[in-house]
Amino acid sequence: MRKVFAIARKEFGSFFHSWTGVMTAVMFFAVTGIFFVILTLNFAQISMDPRSAGLSSFPNISQTHYVFGSLFLNLNVILLFLVPLITMRSFAEERKHETLELLFTYPLTDLEIVAGKLLGLIWFFEMLLVPLAGYALVFYWIGGELDWGPVLSAFLGFWVLGMAYLSAGVFVSTLTKSSVMSAVGTFGILVIFWMMDFAPMSGGGGVSVVVNAMSPLRHFRNFTYGILDLRDLIYFAFFFFYFLFLSLRSIETRNWKES
Amino acid sequence: MVTIRKPRSTEGLVRFESVTKRYGNKFAVENLSFEIAQGEVIGFLGPNGAGKTTAMRILAGYFSPTSGRVILDGMDLFREPQRAKRHVGYLPEVVRLYPDMRVREYLRYVAELKGIRPKDIPMEMEEKISLCGLTDVEHRLIGRLSKGFRQRVGLAQALIGDPPVLVLDEPTTGLDPKQIAEIRALIRDLGKRRAVILSTHILPEVSMICNRVIMIHQGKVLASGTVRELESCLKDREAIFVTVPGAQYQETAEEILSKISGVENVRVVERHENEIQFCLETAQDEDLRPEITKFFVESKIPVLEIRRDQLTLEEIFLKLLKDGWFQQRTKIEAKAET
Repeated sequence: MRKVFAIARKEFGSFFHSWTGVMTAVMFFAVTGIFFVILTLNFAQISMDPRSAGLSSFPNISQTHYVFGSLFLNLNVILLFLVPLITMRSFAEERKHETLELLFTYPLTDLEIVAGKLLGLIWFFEMLLVPLAGYALVFYWIGGELDWGPVLSAFLGFWVLGMAYLSAGVFVSTLTKSSVMSAVGTFGILVIFWMMDFAPMSGGGGVSVVVNAMSPLRHFRNFTYGILDLRDLIYFAFFFFYFLFLSLRSIETRNWKES
Repeated sequence: MVTIRKPRSTEGLVRFESVTKRYGNKFAVENLSFEIAQGEVIGFLGPNGAGKTTAMRILAGYFSPTSGRVILDGMDLFREPQRAKRHVGYLPEVVRLYPDMRVREYLRYVAELKGIRPKDIPMEMEEKISLCGLTDVEHRLIGRLSKGFRQRVGLAQALIGDPPVLVLDEPTTGLDPKQIAEIRALIRDLGKRRAVILSTHILPEVSMICNRVIMIHQGKVLASGTVRELESCLKDREAIFVTVPGAQYQETAEEILSKISGVENVRVVERHENEIQFCLETAQDEDLRPEITKFFVESKIPVLEIRRDQLTLEEIFLKLLKDGWFQQRTKIEAKAET
């Protein structure tokens, strides 16, 4: 386990060796901040003048759901861009610099290597989540009626969604030597998963039910409503470990594939 | 300073048992078997693409062979890789390190990955930093270091944990002469208490540092023996290079050369606009230069240069393969056994 942490520390630290990590964090905070401010102001306006939003009266719209539910659903889209930026270098960079060769000759299992890398990336992602909690505090401070349950469950959902996406990104990164290819590939896969949510609109029938059940967004949406369902958690765990498994298989190919 | 425990078994510290590595139908390494004992420095010799790097990567645990076993100090490298890999230090052909890490930071990382106990790490690092002469650069970024220093960082990472087996893939390529001498001295010193296996295609380097040589070609062992045994076998061939001006002389010159008795294997090695260089092989004892000159003068072909050389390693390999080397090889092995 010490070795896993050593790799994770190095992976986490490498975000701050260059500007990538800082830039990613700044971009993330800027975008989420803008979303939060817009949503809060919108809510304020609607609550004062429902007719501006086409509502005849101001019904019991939950403040928490209006602001944080929408915020986290928007974050889901941001994650499509954020995750490729976080994962693109993990293996691709090592393959480009051929530093993986040495790593494989140390007394480490492949699982320790992949788990260490993934853990380092998850730490970075979690670091981005911490200031996000500030939005909830700001909302509370300006007098919002905060329903903590859905906010916490949305946080939890966003966390597991992020980890699942990171796992997919790490897998794509093991496939290529180029960070750019890795980022583009990860974005592609994540967009496909994101689009699965639209399946029922286009068709119906058995296939669309299955595709819809596979959509990460559908499972994530439950969290933003404050619904904690074991099935959603199992879904994301499966997503996470499935791509972890694929990453392991992918780096194992060095045993039979000519590099 | 460096303590290395005694190997568990009395037999070789490293044992390759008919190791084969295959990519599709192509054999990178075929049926490779050899043993290395503690205190030996083995030279792995062969032209580029002979399978040296593949064999060394297998020994370093980078990938597993298609078939065969590698026994390291009594442990099967691919049955219990976690334990066995602690016994090998590997310096790849091109030392690739994280350019954005500092030397100290990097060596600490390696020590952690090699499972050195945290309380032993500082001492381990000091020792390797001073042994490899990195004291002046320990706080610098690896990406900013010169090639020589990067090579030394590579060596330092291989030495961390004091593995009894060192695998060094072309450790002196790309270094300047002074650095080469330093690295060679270091390797000789390290070899006293370890099993060192190093690959190279520089023949003199082998005689300088290695006790024993294993020659491989196309993934197979061509010959193995002490440096002296191999040299005695290789030196009985010499080459004469003859340069004539202009393509118009080529046919006549070839004809003349192939008529001279004692000359074998005439071929054109270089062809410029108005110069053609032939290479021909002779036995070591006879110097055919006077005779060749005489014949050329008689046929009125001008000779620009005539030079006698020992065959280069690449040429020896080609020659050995053509000659049905295997008879000679059994001779050497028989000699080595007695």
